[in-house]
Amino acid sequence: MATPIFFGVRHLSPAAAYYVRQELDKVRPDIVLIEGPSDLNDEMKWFCHSQTKLPAAILAYTQQTPIRTLLYPFAVYSPEYQAILWAYENNIACKFMDLPSNVFLGIREETDKNTDNEDEEKTKETNKIEQGVTTEQVYKRLEEVLGESHDTFWERNFEQLEAFYMEAATEFGKQLRETSTDSDYRVAENHIREAYMKKVIVQAQKDGFEKVFCVCGAYHVEGLKNNEALTDDEEKKLPRTESNVTLMPYSYYRLSQHSGYGAGNEAPAYFEMLWDAICKGKIEQATYQYLTELAVRQRKQGQMTSAAEVIEAVRLAQTLAKIRNTKYPVLQDLRDAAVTCIGHGTFSEISVSTADVEIGKKIGELPEGVSRTSIQDDFYRQLKDLNLEKYRSVEVQQLDLDLRENLRVKSQKSAFMDLNRSFFLHRLRVLQINFGTQIQNRRKDSAWGEYWNLHWTPETEIEIVEAALLGETVESATSFALKERADKSTNIAQAAEVFEDAFLCGMPKAAKYALNSLQKLSVDTQAIVEISKTMEHLSLVIRYGDLRKFASEPIIPLLSQLYLRACLTMEDSCNCDDEVSNAVMESIERINQVQRNHDFLEEERWVSVLNSISDRDDINTKCSGFAIATLIERGLIEESLLAVEVSRRLSKGVPADLAAGWFEGLAKKNRYSLIVRLSLWKELDNYLQDLDDEEFKRALVFLRRAFSDFSANEKSNISENLGEIWGIEPQQTADMLMRPMTENEEELLQGLDDFDFGDI
Amino acid sequence: MQNVQRFPAEELFKNEIDALINAEKSPIPTGWKMSPKSVLTYICGGEVNGTKITPKYIGNRRLVEICISTLVTDRALLLIGEPGTAKSWLSEHLTAAINGDSTRVVQGTAGTTEEHIRYSWNYAMLIAKGPCPEAMVKSPIYNAMEKGAIARVEEISRCASEVQDALISILSEKRIAVPELSVEVPAQKGFSVIATANTRDKGVNDMSSALKRRFNIVVLPAPSSVESEMEIVETRVNQLSSSLDLYAEPPQKDVIEQVVTIFCELRNGVTLDGKQKLKSTTGVLSTAEAISLLTNSMALAGSFGSGEIDAYDLAAALQGAIIKDEDKDSVSWKEYLENVMKKRGLEWRKLYNACKELN
Repeated sequence: MATPIFFGVRHLSPAAAYYVRQELDKVRPDIVLIEGPSDLNDEMKWFCHSQTKLPAAILAYTQQTPIRTLLYPFAVYSPEYQAILWAYENNIACKFMDLPSNVFLGIREETDKNTDNEDEEKTKETNKIEQGVTTEQVYKRLEEVLGESHDTFWERNFEQLEAFYMEAATEFGKQLRETSTDSDYRVAENHIREAYMKKVIVQAQKDGFEKVFCVCGAYHVEGLKNNEALTDDEEKKLPRTESNVTLMPYSYYRLSQHSGYGAGNEAPAYFEMLWDAICKGKIEQATYQYLTELAVRQRKQGQMTSAAEVIEAVRLAQTLAKIRNTKYPVLQDLRDAAVTCIGHGTFSEISVSTADVEIGKKIGELPEGVSRTSIQDDFYRQLKDLNLEKYRSVEVQQLDLDLRENLRVKSQKSAFMDLNRSFFLHRLRVLQINFGTQIQNRRKDSAWGEYWNLHWTPETEIEIVEAALLGETVESATSFALKERADKSTNIAQAAEVFEDAFLCGMPKAAKYALNSLQKLSVDTQAIVEISKTMEHLSLVIRYGDLRKFASEPIIPLLSQLYLRACLTMEDSCNCDDEVSNAVMESIERINQVQRNHDFLEEERWVSVLNSISDRDDINTKCSGFAIATLIERGLIEESLLAVEVSRRLSKGVPADLAAGWFEGLAKKNRYSLIVRLSLWKELDNYLQDLDDEEFKRALVFLRRAFSDFSANEKSNISENLGEIWGIEPQQTADMLMRPMTENEEELLQGLDDFDFGDI
Repeated sequence: MQNVQRFPAEELFKNEIDALINAEKSPIPTGWKMSPKSVLTYICGGEVNGTKITPKYIGNRRLVEICISTLVTDRALLLIGEPGTAKSWLSEHLTAAINGDSTRVVQGTAGTTEEHIRYSWNYAMLIAKGPCPEAMVKSPIYNAMEKGAIARVEEISRCASEVQDALISILSEKRIAVPELSVEVPAQKGFSVIATANTRDKGVNDMSSALKRRFNIVVLPAPSSVESEMEIVETRVNQLSSSLDLYAEPPQKDVIEQVVTIFCELRNGVTLDGKQKLKSTTGVLSTAEAISLLTNSMALAGSFGSGEIDAYDLAAALQGAIIKDEDKDSVSWKEYLENVMKKRGLEWRKLYNACKELN
């Protein structure tokens, strides 16, 4: 019997994909075995289906929460995929040989259970590391020595090989195996996997396949050669868990998100270019294609990129490759050359085009009905858990939620049923899965009530499948979506919205992430209105976070920072025109409220800001008036002081609009306490008495505006006050107010309407 | 010779250059003294045949590779960066290693004329003899073209645009015409130009895109990590204090760390752990400034103080270095004090109090 042939590969490596086909053509084996879950043998045919377009992935996931997943992504340049395709084209048997997914997930589950005791495990782990080095550390050391990432190292040394790929990769895997010692669990897991694979190989030989060809990670080659096969007894003892396994469409974007060996690669579109170039036997073509496409994209974006610049970039990339002793430029060389020659030294100038060229927008496709993704399963399980199944109908149904703990039920689960439903529905909303729409709170003051319209359409199902590209479960997809939105937000209003969504979805981690980007964005925010709105919002979450079982501590530092900034910039913001002044006053009020609600915000600082706004004469007087009103409300202004201030602000020399503006600001707040302060009205009276006719007319117009939003009742109270000052009986005042206007008075008012506003 | 204030790089590091040339094994480009790889070793440090090569540029090795590759492809190189990012330093050492001569320099100023780029005349001789080669005063660039060497243009963006334009024809045609003598001088192989420009000077005399296209542009960043910046600051402060006779103790490690940390955080607009974004200041806060801040404090402490830098000296120096544009910077600085420094714990307490007092 011939010894099996082991082709050690790096997953997602174009050169490996190319040479595996070459080798297969040369050897023409009887069976091809691929490292991949062996319970998926029946599904393998879908990879070769005419409607299938890569990238696609094999996804295995547990049926019970917490959901554990296992993902094998494939691109067109995956050696495993090319081997499968070759077998299909040549009509040769082909099988997966790795552990079935339920065993794999079972082992992971056991491992996690045993490593729960983290501290102990950590010390074990450190001991281990002292004795030897883990695979990661080998890679890290490699990076230190070379000054390049190990992906680049691999590309330089393996992707450009013109022969002996198999030998080189196998040797690399062997040496890596010799130099590194991984944690016990990893070693054990690899051991079991290799023993199982060995068993499949031996079985294939027993089944009469003469020449067996194995495609597996280069690391495993030595293990497969030397280790014993798993016995049937041993196999029975392996832990198993209930799991599903499926194919799913994948995207280059997702592939690029998972860096790290096997799980993905940084630049899928570029590697596809490289794959095409290798297949044509012209590796250098990838260089030209990369830089030319980059230039084309730059031009589309309106950047002038000449052919001469592309030529210079090619030359520079080639020289860079030579300095590193490689024949052709690798991705890193290309990118550096592009930055220098096309981007004029800065990466930001070409970053968008680079993402297009390196990552691309390719999304895979599978024939209909093939994939049953974990997110679909997760969705239906939660629907059942939350007792929402009956709402899965075309008819619109209403659902009222009470987020408070239900004290009449026994189990913890049903006590917070409504809260969990709310989390679930908000998550779907964030994922843009149209199932529930929230309707306005019917009772305005109840923070604990939420009202939803639920409505199911066939499109909903499609939307769920689409969400599978974001994550394996509803929760992980939501967290990914929120994270993306947080990264994309450009101002604090957007980031605050993301934060709110994360809060509503009951996802503290995502909320923390959003909070981080909120903090980053807030640094460049000067606008006091935005700052104060955000503060108000954060304050709300701190105060009512409990209702959603949300720990609010992480918000406190940010709120303190915003508070500090607001205090430092408030005075300058008050230097504004009348149009903006209302917004500024609202901001003062918001910050004031927030400060009152939280002790950790230093009161002294805010009071000193208010004092200085109130004292300054060179800023918008409305704001000054409002600041003193705020101080009065806080009980920090003595009656006598107020009288002095009023007479200073309302004196003859002060332009009427400024004086009235100040009064308007003052009167925005605590009207009742103002109305009862007789001294105030005395000062106002004195002021009016002092004015001559023309000045009086002007003042009257502005004061009329200042009083415009007083209620009739308040106005008559003021009139009574004034009456008292003028020594008129209250009864008489009332009569005066009730009496219809005389013609003479009407005429006077008409006169006011003709007032010349020219110089105001 | 002893009292020369500053030696050119090729003299200071003569033995290193000689060692590299002696040990050369790789092919040497025309007009160069050593191979590109040896140049890289000279700049980034290493060891050759038992001679230790000190690193001249501490930072991203990859950028140096790009610079050298650019010069190999006979393209001109433009180094751009904030003040104090070692642009001129790097350009000097590159030419020292490649040609063994870093003195062919044109300093760009508002007063630089086209003659400084091309050639001018010795007028006495011009009047006496008429236009002849002896009467010609060649510019450093002219010289470099004749010898196939590299010329340096410092602060190119400070030159008027017509002076910059004079470079365009030299860089694209690689020859220089002397109509007075009716000759055209072609550049020898190995000729190139390294120019430096300051990002803070943007808008003084913006470079035309025609000129920019003739350069490969490398942007030199501020040091990427505090550790490397501390290393740079410490070495330079020690070197300077011994040559300037400051009579003060060199600053303690924690003082350097504090200054570098503050500079680094305010410059990058984010705390070192990356958790908190900060408002950055209008000033540059370059490594060079950190160095001069520390040497100044040493001079202060040595001449008027206890001979050791204390928190009060440091606070005053920091205040002066950071607050350049009164309003904006003082807001950023106050926020920094309250949000970051105050929460840093005991070692920072003294400095915080001293700074707070000044605000």
